[in-house]
Amino acid sequence: MSKKILVVLLALMMVVGVFACKPAATTEAAAPAEEGAKTYKAAFITQALSNESQAYSWKQLQQYAPEYGFTVDVFEGQNDVQNEAKAVSTCIAQGYDAIFINPSDINAIVPSLMEAKEAGVIVGMFSSDLPAESQQYRDFFCGVDDTMAGETAGKAFVDHFPDGAFIVEIGGQAGHDAQIKRADGFRKAIEGSKINLADSQNCSGWVTADAMAIMEDFIVKYGDQIQGVFCHWDNGATGIIEALKNANMNDVYLIGVDGCRAGYDQVKAGTQAVTIGQSFTNMAIKSLECAKAMLEGKPFEAVNFIPLDVVTKDNIDTFPYPEW
Amino acid sequence: MTKRFSLKQFMLNYLVLVAIVLLVIITIMVEPKFLSGENLTNIMRQFGPLSFVSLGMTFVIIGGFIDLSVAGIISLVAVVTVSLIDPLGQVYALIIGIALGAFLGFLNSMVLISAGALTQAEALFITFGMSAVYSALALIYTDGSTQHMSWLEGNQSIFNSIGSGMVGILSVSFLIFLVSLGALWIFHNKTYSGRAISYTGGNKVAAELSGIPIKRSVILIYTICGLMSAIGAVVLFSRITTAAPIIGKGYETNAILSVVVGGTTLKGGKGSVLRTVLGVLLITLMSNCMNLLGVSSYMQVVLKGAILVVAIWLDNRKEQ
Repeated sequence: MSKKILVVLLALMMVVGVFACKPAATTEAAAPAEEGAKTYKAAFITQALSNESQAYSWKQLQQYAPEYGFTVDVFEGQNDVQNEAKAVSTCIAQGYDAIFINPSDINAIVPSLMEAKEAGVIVGMFSSDLPAESQQYRDFFCGVDDTMAGETAGKAFVDHFPDGAFIVEIGGQAGHDAQIKRADGFRKAIEGSKINLADSQNCSGWVTADAMAIMEDFIVKYGDQIQGVFCHWDNGATGIIEALKNANMNDVYLIGVDGCRAGYDQVKAGTQAVTIGQSFTNMAIKSLECAKAMLEGKPFEAVNFIPLDVVTKDNIDTFPYPEW
Repeated sequence: MTKRFSLKQFMLNYLVLVAIVLLVIITIMVEPKFLSGENLTNIMRQFGPLSFVSLGMTFVIIGGFIDLSVAGIISLVAVVTVSLIDPLGQVYALIIGIALGAFLGFLNSMVLISAGALTQAEALFITFGMSAVYSALALIYTDGSTQHMSWLEGNQSIFNSIGSGMVGILSVSFLIFLVSLGALWIFHNKTYSGRAISYTGGNKVAAELSGIPIKRSVILIYTICGLMSAIGAVVLFSRITTAAPIIGKGYETNAILSVVVGGTTLKGGKGSVLRTVLGVLLITLMSNCMNLLGVSSYMQVVLKGAILVVAIWLDNRKEQ
């Protein structure tokens, strides 16, 4: 009897596994760009679909792939570069035409991308670019410039507080490429201004509870002195807003990055001053455009920075409401 | 006959208490605001989610097992509960969420019993697998999206109270914790089933030969852990007002860390929920104090790791 239960449970786990594991799905090439045109095979290799922006990017690639004559499969690395490297090998072995990759580690993935290039697979970096010394191993990059996102946030503080302000920073996952670049860009922008960056802490992950706890501790330490907060991501800002609300601090100038639904709602509600939006839709479209151009021997740009949207309460209605 | 005081024995048994006192003294000297009412309220609130998960994990470790599935249980319970607030109302959502946690814990125990997995190593691998399943279900259920309570239209007063409500000087979540702690302490120390868990962890073969119902203990251990993880999940999303499908990530290691640092032996058989409270307090205070002292996030991770190593080293020293 107990063996039967075990078999049933294991079967259930396998069914779930089949749904959850890679490749998760394939787009249907139901409506290719032109009738009779060749359909290309592409793969989206991502760090983790548990990262909302990546799950949304995958949806966007699925949506736009048929328009550009592609079918797209997704391979999830589960934040492990070895899984991402295996996915690249699988794509080479299975004859994929192009891969769009957002790796967990931009250095560790280089050997796999060298193999892909040698095998004639088009390599498109998605959201994160390779380090300068390895950029010959990718064909193009489509993404936002995280340094620019940090700079934009810093500039917004300088513009809003021309006479200076006392601000704190709550960074994303400590050591993450985006966290480092956003912090660097931010410091660069406020350098020489009257903005006083009094304290800065990073989180163990992109975890809202961490951001909230750090903000609570900053409130104890600095109290009403805090005039502004730069948070590296909008969902983290949600926790910061709760901490500020509990402390009855309602006029703190809060800036977040992402431009996701939470960020838009918070800007609309007036609890967040600015969200610096990254358009994953444009990132997906640009990646497909570049790959298509390369396959057809047409010219394309190797580096494609997707412009950032600086969304405030005044201009929020001019941007489409995000779906993630 | 008067027992001689041994400093070495005292340090081995109560190092966590010494560490807490030292940490508090150093922080007060550098940052007197540590003692402000605002900060004490913060500590109470930050104490919340981890304390519930760690109480459940205490029984698992006393019973000689381990449970890595709490991360998945927290994630799944959080997203399911939040999603049910609008269609079913907050009371039913809460009941279903907590019952789901207990059921997932029960399911873990059934898999372990069916597989004949009675060692810590076997439990580690099986619960790791179960965690992956629960986490994947949370992702599938939400399509990878974070759910924000501000998007809901239904009444959320219960969750608002749990997240930020106060009764006098105590936060609501801390009061729930005190009630849970009392109930679990009585269960462990004053009931046959509670003591049976310690016997099971001490020596499973001897316990079985003595007529202790091992399978019942395993079911109880994992069901309690699932239940406490679910309560932890509710406290967590009520506090931060969002439920991400990966919200439970990291809680399994922090809960094990709190239990072991508190002084419950990883070998099973010995331990107490009261000791776990000290462990959770140390972990919570560490983050709070280090943020107040301006210690970098990288160094905080190093110190947490070092504390775990010291706790396990002390655990082994006590056995010698």
